[in-house]
Amino acid sequence: MTTATRERMAPTFTPGRLAWLGFLAIALTVGALAFYEVFSRGLIVTNLSDSVPWGLWITIDLSAIALGAGAFTLSAVVYLFRLKRFQPIVRLAVLLGVIGYTTALLTLIADIGRPDRFWHPWVYWNVHSVLWEITWCITIYLAIMLVEFAPVIAELRPLLRWPVVGRAAHAIHRLAPALALAGLLISLLHQSSLGATYGVLKARPIWFKPSMPIMFIVSAVAVGPAVTMAVALILEWITGKRNLPHDLLRTIARFAGLGLLVYTYVKLWDLAAVTYYGRTPGSSSAFSLLNEYTAYNFGLWFGEIGLGIVIPVLMFLVPRFNRNPANLVLGGLLAALGLVINRWNVTVSGLIVPLTYSPGVGVQLLPGSYTPSLTEWGVAIGVVGYALLALTLGVWLLPLFKTQPAAHSSGQFDPQGRR
Amino acid sequence: MAKKKTRVELELTRRDFVKLAATAAGSALVAQAVTTGPLSPFGELKQRQVAGGPADGHPQGEHHWGMVINLQTCIGCEYCQRACSATNDVASDKHWNIVLPDETANGRRFFFSRPCLHCQHAPCVEVCPVQATFVREDGLVMMDYDRCIGCRYCEVACPYDARKFIWEERTDENALVPTWGVPQVERRPRGVVEKCTFCVHRIDAGLAAGLVPGVDREATPACVNICPVGARVFGDLLDPNSPVSQVIAANPTLRLREELGTESSVYYIPPEGAA
Repeated sequence: MTTATRERMAPTFTPGRLAWLGFLAIALTVGALAFYEVFSRGLIVTNLSDSVPWGLWITIDLSAIALGAGAFTLSAVVYLFRLKRFQPIVRLAVLLGVIGYTTALLTLIADIGRPDRFWHPWVYWNVHSVLWEITWCITIYLAIMLVEFAPVIAELRPLLRWPVVGRAAHAIHRLAPALALAGLLISLLHQSSLGATYGVLKARPIWFKPSMPIMFIVSAVAVGPAVTMAVALILEWITGKRNLPHDLLRTIARFAGLGLLVYTYVKLWDLAAVTYYGRTPGSSSAFSLLNEYTAYNFGLWFGEIGLGIVIPVLMFLVPRFNRNPANLVLGGLLAALGLVINRWNVTVSGLIVPLTYSPGVGVQLLPGSYTPSLTEWGVAIGVVGYALLALTLGVWLLPLFKTQPAAHSSGQFDPQGRR
Repeated sequence: MAKKKTRVELELTRRDFVKLAATAAGSALVAQAVTTGPLSPFGELKQRQVAGGPADGHPQGEHHWGMVINLQTCIGCEYCQRACSATNDVASDKHWNIVLPDETANGRRFFFSRPCLHCQHAPCVEVCPVQATFVREDGLVMMDYDRCIGCRYCEVACPYDARKFIWEERTDENALVPTWGVPQVERRPRGVVEKCTFCVHRIDAGLAAGLVPGVDREATPACVNICPVGARVFGDLLDPNSPVSQVIAANPTLRLREELGTESSVYYIPPEGAA
């Protein structure tokens, strides 16, 4: 314990680190200016409209939460299924989860018209709304992650002076399986409900389908751990310290590859059902409109499937590729990119297709159009800057890769106790 | 590391597998139990919230305010739109009432107009995370501007494009005032969603004064009053003698996208020659 603490000195400021901090400072400044613009002038500064009321920011919310899915997946693997050898990566996974969820909440604050009323879903309940359920789940799960993460904070040197902190952290650590179970339940709920947000809208021809929540949860479970794995490898390159055994990371990559294949299966069946076997006039005209007005097919086949699935699956599953960490990082980043493209496609495409409800047949509403405004990009840069800063500080200041601190180890997690 | 065949060890026992399956099923079960099941603490709450009462598409109150729009007589003058936007002080590019030229399958041209349809199973009401929009006892779909958080999910969910978000603080002068009417309600604040109210302020005040909405002009929506050809008729759908009920009884009518089961309160007399 003592040695571990002594290694963790205050970070020294090398030129590289200063440059990185400077870069983050610029991103955060841009973000702060954009947030100010949004709060002072309202959402008129966006390019959103009444026909396309959701856009880039909602895409960021959905993506950040899905990319944070490594937290619940790996926590469950370690604490529920007791695959103890994955324990060294859990702290990083939970940190990424906390960062993802807080990034989403931060973006939502900009996106809702009345940020001063962000607390309303907790007070005024509409239990029939998936968005209400999502708000609750996200809040509760963020709290769970913070509790899960508390023992890591408790190991900070200034806190070691008070033994009560250590004892509290120890008590929390004993709760880990319960927290992992609660996290798994709540994540399975809201990760899929985010898809249901679109899937339940019966008036929208290309959204309304029961496969939407399934595709959201499966893609999150596949890509979340892959992102955690890729971040671990990138950190290894930057810090020069091998914190995690590579065969562990490769196992995670394999899991992610298999997850992506499951996702592909559901996705291709969904595509076949919607565009071919179960084609309706509504969905047909919706897809032809989308391809006329946007690069929908290109985004789907090249972005989502080519970059986001095919290459990562090859990198993760083919032995001669997945032995090279660079390929795993490439696969992880591309899978994340594919997921972001997917969330963008889902959000914006459904809104571009105009509603038809008139008893006539004349074209009465034009397809919506949407390109994010500079302010929207500014907020996006700001929240990404926040995420990177949080990750940087976490890596510098927190004992992320200590497996089982001596003071905290107990018979609780010893598999011999039950086998 | 090179060339070493890596073995994947997944120490997954049968018990673990059962646990995983149980967790997955459990989460669905928890969602069901918490939101709907007979033991749900929210069961009654949900019953009250899910729009609409009995299966006949009418609310539980003693009135059900509804409208008939006759697409055969509408001449597309847009008076309804102007009177509405003046009376409710609506922004000039965000009309609650829209009027559009359209044509039937056999090429006959007509004008289509649309207020909020006040659905009894309103998709907007079902998705709102904070119950800022709700179906009133008399069938009106209302907005609580003080509760709305501006997430715009209702706007995305509405099948009829009837909702508008207020993107900026309004400072404009309403050019339709006073020619087409005088604002009878406050402007809504920035950052909330608004929509047609069937001029609820006129209905409520009229009822309090003993008037009959749909018969007495003071208690009737502005769009209905101003229509020069009487294409819009308003009244109580639960009262068989109300003007609106009589028009529905005497004409073939349709409601928009009835297949969605929204049970809207606005009936249309389709244009001549429509399929």
